[in-house]
Amino acid sequence: MSYFIQVVVDGLSNGAIYAAIALAIVLVYRATGLINFAQGGMAVTATFVAYALTRVGVPVLLALVVAVVFGFLLGALLERGVMRHFEGGDPDTAVVATIALLVVLSGLSAYFFGYEPHPFPSLFPNRTIEVLGVFVSLRSIGTITVLLVVMIALQLLFRSTKLGLAMRAVADNPRSSALSGLPVSRLLMIGWGLAAALGAIAGVLVAPQLFISPGMLDFVLVYALASAILGGLDSPIGAVVAAAFIGVVENLAGAYLDFIGDDLKIAVPFIAVIVILVVRPQGLFGRKVTVRV
Amino acid sequence: MATTTAPRSTTGTASSATARWKGIAAVGVLAVALVVAPLVSSPYINYQLSSIAVFAVAILGLNIVMGYTGQVSLGQSAFLGLGAYIAAYGILHGWPGPLTLLLCAVVPAVVGMLVALAAARLRGLALAMITLALPIVGVPLARRFDEFTGGSQGQVVSWLRAPESIGLANDQWRYYVVVLIAVVAFVLARNLVRGRIGRSFAIVKENEAVALSMGVSPYRTKVLAFTIASLLGGVSGFMYLAIVQYTSPETLVFATSINLVAAMVIGGSASIVGTVLGAVYYVLVPVLAGQVNSSRTALISGAVLLAVLFLLPAGLVSLPRRLARLRSSRGRPPQPPAHPTTSDEAAQPASAPPAATTDQHS
Amino acid sequence: MSLLELEDVTASYGHAQVLHGISFSLSENGATGLLGANGAGKTTTLRAISGTVRTTGRILFEGRDISGLGPDRTAHLGIAHVPEGRGTLGQLSVRENLLVGAYQRKDRKQIATDVDYVLDLFPNLQERVRSNAAALSGGEQQMLAVGRAFMAKPRVILLDEASLGLAPSTARRVYDAIVRLRREAQVSMVVVEQNANLAFSVVDDATVLETGRVALHGSRDELMGMDAVRRAYLGG
Repeated sequence: MSYFIQVVVDGLSNGAIYAAIALAIVLVYRATGLINFAQGGMAVTATFVAYALTRVGVPVLLALVVAVVFGFLLGALLERGVMRHFEGGDPDTAVVATIALLVVLSGLSAYFFGYEPHPFPSLFPNRTIEVLGVFVSLRSIGTITVLLVVMIALQLLFRSTKLGLAMRAVADNPRSSALSGLPVSRLLMIGWGLAAALGAIAGVLVAPQLFISPGMLDFVLVYALASAILGGLDSPIGAVVAAAFIGVVENLAGAYLDFIGDDLKIAVPFIAVIVILVVRPQGLFGRKVTVRV
Repeated sequence: MATTTAPRSTTGTASSATARWKGIAAVGVLAVALVVAPLVSSPYINYQLSSIAVFAVAILGLNIVMGYTGQVSLGQSAFLGLGAYIAAYGILHGWPGPLTLLLCAVVPAVVGMLVALAAARLRGLALAMITLALPIVGVPLARRFDEFTGGSQGQVVSWLRAPESIGLANDQWRYYVVVLIAVVAFVLARNLVRGRIGRSFAIVKENEAVALSMGVSPYRTKVLAFTIASLLGGVSGFMYLAIVQYTSPETLVFATSINLVAAMVIGGSASIVGTVLGAVYYVLVPVLAGQVNSSRTALISGAVLLAVLFLLPAGLVSLPRRLARLRSSRGRPPQPPAHPTTSDEAAQPASAPPAATTDQHS
Repeated sequence: MSLLELEDVTASYGHAQVLHGISFSLSENGATGLLGANGAGKTTTLRAISGTVRTTGRILFEGRDISGLGPDRTAHLGIAHVPEGRGTLGQLSVRENLLVGAYQRKDRKQIATDVDYVLDLFPNLQERVRSNAAALSGGEQQMLAVGRAFMAKPRVILLDEASLGLAPSTARRVYDAIVRLRREAQVSMVVVEQNANLAFSVVDDATVLETGRVALHGSRDELMGMDAVRRAYLGG
């Protein structure tokens, strides 16, 4: 039994990593209506800023704060300088533009820091505690806690603030929102800025475990996308639950199904996601959209 | 929104006849160039040219489902990989080439159709998710079922050597094989998208409700588009194996799908010529970026991608139109905000009298 | 002084000029109609006023030239545009759509009162207040679009084809509410409408457009008395 719980707990701490990026994806989707492939790139770039600061002796917490501010400015700048150009055009072109940003940002990180992974200091003590026969690292607990706080903050932002409402309105229909006097371009900038700031938090949280490199979040991005879409894309809670689900299912499949093992375990959550989406296209927590005729 | 472009020459029969002759001449020149190119080029150039043909077919499939039918697909690399593995399996088991090619088309088409039957009811991002899962699930499957795939090592084959009697080098022979397949695929696809099926693709892309009202089933249309895309993906896998002589789980990674999507948009969505340009971009930009600075390949490729998107959001295929517009706008400024145009002055007297005859309300 | 005055306004989409010098005016608390066939430039005239199309000429709002201002600025000045196709925010609930309409306002208490007023004006919306706008029927979406415009507490509402695609009885109900809104909320209106019967139930006077030019202007009674207008727009 305790082995089972251990497997679940390990799955949850993987899920926390996926959830961190998934939340940022949900945020951009909420604010701009776009799937943003550059999300991982922005997060890694901001995390490298924190890395550079810790290398010269800045405490991790302060480095995190600077990275978050840098992330916000980076996101806002990319929206203003690059993405604005593609707004109102073909959405496929805009999505490919985010792919281009991803490539450029990882290229930039590699230019300054190279492709090899570097160790990254943890915000939380690198200790493991035993609770009822299950070993949990303080790092996982810390990551999950921060994540839950961020999730609740996002949920509140979207559900109970005027800014959140305005961001959702702009994502839904920018032209019509402008007719109600919403400052569309400023809201889009804020949306990208917040998403990149959130990416910075996620990056700093997961870098100690993954080691920091330009490609650090490449595989996480895929899991995060799956979590965000499975969670219904506009629901922060949905994204976190879906990420936890994916992390746990993957770990359980790897641990208990012999023919699956470590190689194939990644396939299990994705097949589960396919089945769930076919049965429930709006995702676990998404609101059903009836399409007008 | 880029929709399918109707034939543009509607100005008169005389000019459309010359346009037709020009078109035939261009096709003739192109055909000669395609035949002569490998005879005068180095094996390295021939390899790159053959690669363009391979990825042109993969992007063609993607363009049919995404560009023409408007359905996101992030899984094209899975069909490319599947085709390559089937080809490798067939060669290692001594199947005849044409049979292998047929299976490389049919099996991925069936797989794509089965996926689409389940997924084509979904739209937008849910659909993107399912297609994204194909390479994600495919890579570990390819590693795992090593009796078919050679596992992580992949499969090395040695086939498609030039027949002695012809007197061609292997690279030239393989070039002719893949270019021939590509030309056939493009001619068939061109007829498809210009015909009745192509129109139903365009209607489904434009508005599914309208499609239904016109008796076009969006579901069946999407399944068909996905099936054709998967078929072409599989064929491109056969071609890939023909020139690379090796395949591994790396062939079907998700990043390849993403790059194919980028290349499709760069070339030109819903455009046959754009598809070829996209393939040229896909093959050449990393090569050229690597020659400029091998350690900065990603940075340069990304910057080029961004620059093309900025300058030509409708893809490379829109370059001539764009240039024409630049030239014409340099001749005369298009916006006259300061002084009214002549049509305004004409409008003034026409509108004034009727308004004057009725009561002026105050 | 008129609240809104257009002087020789032209507008174009890219190279295609759609308006060739439109002039008309709207008095304080007035309601004026824009009539005309498809493509006459009615919608473009509204878009010129709200700043969503490029124009020349002068557009005076409360005596100030607002031409060239973007839609968020004109909204701020008190112009609420109910666009063609309604522009409801499909993923947001009915209540949220109304709150987006009130984005520029700070008077929280009055906003809540005004939401209740809109729900009273359109009882259909009352029952659907928590559903997504995309799930509403066409008529309900139109009601929501009008309600959202009202929530901005505008000086003038630009109403574009509020009857489009609605069953006659539904269109009638929407217009009854618009008439009530005009009476009770003291808001001026520019009404674009294909169905002149509906338009004449709201407006005091109207301008008839033909291919981007003013063809005719008159009071409601004058226009209704003209055979040509009756034949073209009133069905008989």
